[in-house]
Amino acid sequence: MANALTCQDESGRCSSKSVLDIVKLIFAAAPLREVLTIIARSVEAQGKGLLCTIWLLDDDGRHLDCAAAPSLPGFAAHVGRMSVGPEGSACGTAVYLRQPVYATDILSDSTWDNYRHLVLAYDIRAAWVWPVFSSQDKVLGAFAILYREVRGPDTSDLQLIEDVSHIAGIAIERHVNEEELRRSEARKVAMLDSALDCIVTIDNEGRITEFNPAAQRTFGRRREEVVGEHLANVIIPPSLRKKHLEGLARYLASGEARVLGKRIEMTAMRADGSEFPVELAITRIPFDGPPSFTGYLRDITERKRSEEELLRSAAYLAEAQKLSLTGSFGWNVSTNQHFWSNETFRIFEYEITTEVTLQLILDRVHPQDIPLVTQAIAQAAEARDLDYECRLLMPGGSVKHLHIIGHGIRDEDGQLEYIGAVQDVTQRKLSEEALGNVRSELARVARVTSFGALTASIAHEVNQPLSGIITNASTCLRMLAADPPNVDGALETARRTIRDGHRASDVIARLRTLFSKKDATTEVVDLNEATREVIALLRSELQRSQVILRPELADDLPAVAGDRVQLQQVILNLLLNAAEAMSSVDDRPRQLVIRTERDGGDQVRLTVQDAGVGFQPQSMNKLFEAFYTTKSGGMGIGLSVSRSIIESHHGRLWATPNDGPGASFSFSIPRRPESVTSAPSLGAIPAPVQHTMRSF
Amino acid sequence: MVMRSLVTVVDDDDSVRESLPDLLREFGFAAEAFSSAEQFLASGCIDKTRCLILDIAMPGMSGPDLQRELTRRRYEIPIVFITAHSDQTVRTRVLERGAVECLLKPFSEGALLAALHAALDCN
Repeated sequence: MANALTCQDESGRCSSKSVLDIVKLIFAAAPLREVLTIIARSVEAQGKGLLCTIWLLDDDGRHLDCAAAPSLPGFAAHVGRMSVGPEGSACGTAVYLRQPVYATDILSDSTWDNYRHLVLAYDIRAAWVWPVFSSQDKVLGAFAILYREVRGPDTSDLQLIEDVSHIAGIAIERHVNEEELRRSEARKVAMLDSALDCIVTIDNEGRITEFNPAAQRTFGRRREEVVGEHLANVIIPPSLRKKHLEGLARYLASGEARVLGKRIEMTAMRADGSEFPVELAITRIPFDGPPSFTGYLRDITERKRSEEELLRSAAYLAEAQKLSLTGSFGWNVSTNQHFWSNETFRIFEYEITTEVTLQLILDRVHPQDIPLVTQAIAQAAEARDLDYECRLLMPGGSVKHLHIIGHGIRDEDGQLEYIGAVQDVTQRKLSEEALGNVRSELARVARVTSFGALTASIAHEVNQPLSGIITNASTCLRMLAADPPNVDGALETARRTIRDGHRASDVIARLRTLFSKKDATTEVVDLNEATREVIALLRSELQRSQVILRPELADDLPAVAGDRVQLQQVILNLLLNAAEAMSSVDDRPRQLVIRTERDGGDQVRLTVQDAGVGFQPQSMNKLFEAFYTTKSGGMGIGLSVSRSIIESHHGRLWATPNDGPGASFSFSIPRRPESVTSAPSLGAIPAPVQHTMRSF
Repeated sequence: MVMRSLVTVVDDDDSVRESLPDLLREFGFAAEAFSSAEQFLASGCIDKTRCLILDIAMPGMSGPDLQRELTRRRYEIPIVFITAHSDQTVRTRVLERGAVECLLKPFSEGALLAALHAALDCN
């Protein structure tokens, strides 16, 4: 009985099984419950009235299920699951204690208190329960031998129990292992099937052994048609096949691997022969025997395109920065790290490998601007936006003008970072300076040009008093030379001489101011006063041109801040232009109005309105172009220079056609912020009322 | 008593009207002064005037206008023009129309005397 569990079923339903038969069943992977039932039946065949049940421990190790009770129909369902623990049930206790639990008489055994009524229903009086161990001594379950009489085990019983326990252990362990293997395999297949990456395995000859669904989709090949084929022929473009085969041969011969364990990018080929970029990682499958490999491939067409677009964008940006002389920078104030674009390095003339520091920046800043930049840096620490201009003094001695703007942001960690742009505005600055010089020079040229037109007027203004001086002086001499001398008459003529001398001197003083070359200055200007002085200079010229001038100068006109001489230059130009525009007018009065007035709350406007030939609306803008002229003899420089002067006073100069004949030219400039009435003047000149003159 | 020849000055400039008659009187002429051509025409001095010293540029009727008007009225008073504008065109035109001289202000005592003598010799 010791080595053969023979089943001698009195009902004849089951033939006896040797241990060998059972082992064969086990290795034929028969269902576990079937094998356990056969084992139980074989045990029951060993003795009259002997019943056998076998219990399996759950995966969680806390419950036992009845897996075989061949002679107790309905028993498994009847008792249900049993908990593993120090007490409660004989099976649970045996598994918990890892040792047999014997109940010779269930009626009197307290272990059976919970289940006594159940087993008594099956007419069972004695129960011996053993834990079943794996080869690693892990508890796998339990089996019980039951009798319908009061009974304890003898030596032969114990031998039987040991054998059964051993065989049941093998059966259960084998089953658990197979189950585990099956699950693992299922997991692997699921992984292969659901992987987004292509997974291809090859053997040591380079033949495909696995080709997952992603690979099938990507390469347009079915698994069945590629397994067993050479990988090179399936997914590697012809141009790369030789290299692939050489690499595989080299590895097999020397173990030298250039591609194993790394991600590499290469070109792959679809079924239709089209090529596309892939990322490939190859690993060697870690088993003994001839090496085989797994390749993980990913179609990176999209990524490549994005990368190229990114590169292109970066290239465009770099080019744009280069063309606009604008660099960008990032500055993490907290860590004091600087990130510069190449253009920023170029502007500062540092190598792009240089590690940027604040000191390095300050080294380039023009000494006079260092306080400015230091202050800007201090502001930056308070997270205020940056917007300032400064100069750099380059090692060669050249000066660069920069415009820097920056916007500070705090990241999640509260770190302050500036993102900004630095533009090289040297050219613009130089242009502005040059423009300023040109404007001054043009203004001077225009003054000199006007001088030509004014010569007659000036000559008249000076010659009149000179004439009086000479005549009076002659008279004076004659009166003194008479016998007796006419002293009273001589005194009177001498007084007139002095008076006329002053009159001439005043004219010269005004001219000297108006025609001197000097830089623009800012002073308080009474526009009415300035206008009257210009009118005084032009009086004779206007008379000669038969122009009727009507000044309409507003009382209490606010003062403006500006360059008096430049503004007078503009007024002079406007008046001369107006007179010129009327030179051919014979059918109507050559009437000229010069008007000053408030323009809104904070502007002062001056208008010169003529009754001349006017201008075509379409040539309005051209009027202000340098060298454009409607006059045959004029230089046409006056209006563009005038506009430039007015714009430098933050004002504007414009022309409008009159409702009637002629045109009006106006300029409007801001009043002085706190208007004061005392405007220094070159000497009060009475406002000429109306000069009407006709000549031949 | 010798009747002194009347030299009449027409000029809108105050200082000329003040100074020139005094000098003319020192020369020995009688002198009258008017500030416009219109005043002169209305004055009744035309017949007595032996020589007219006439400004070219004046408001209203100009010197050349008066010259034409006198010609139209058939007066043959010698005219010495004076002007502060050095305008050759005007100078040529008035001389062509019979003016004795056209003096550019400021003129010297000598130039004035020479012109006056030339004018009075015409008579």
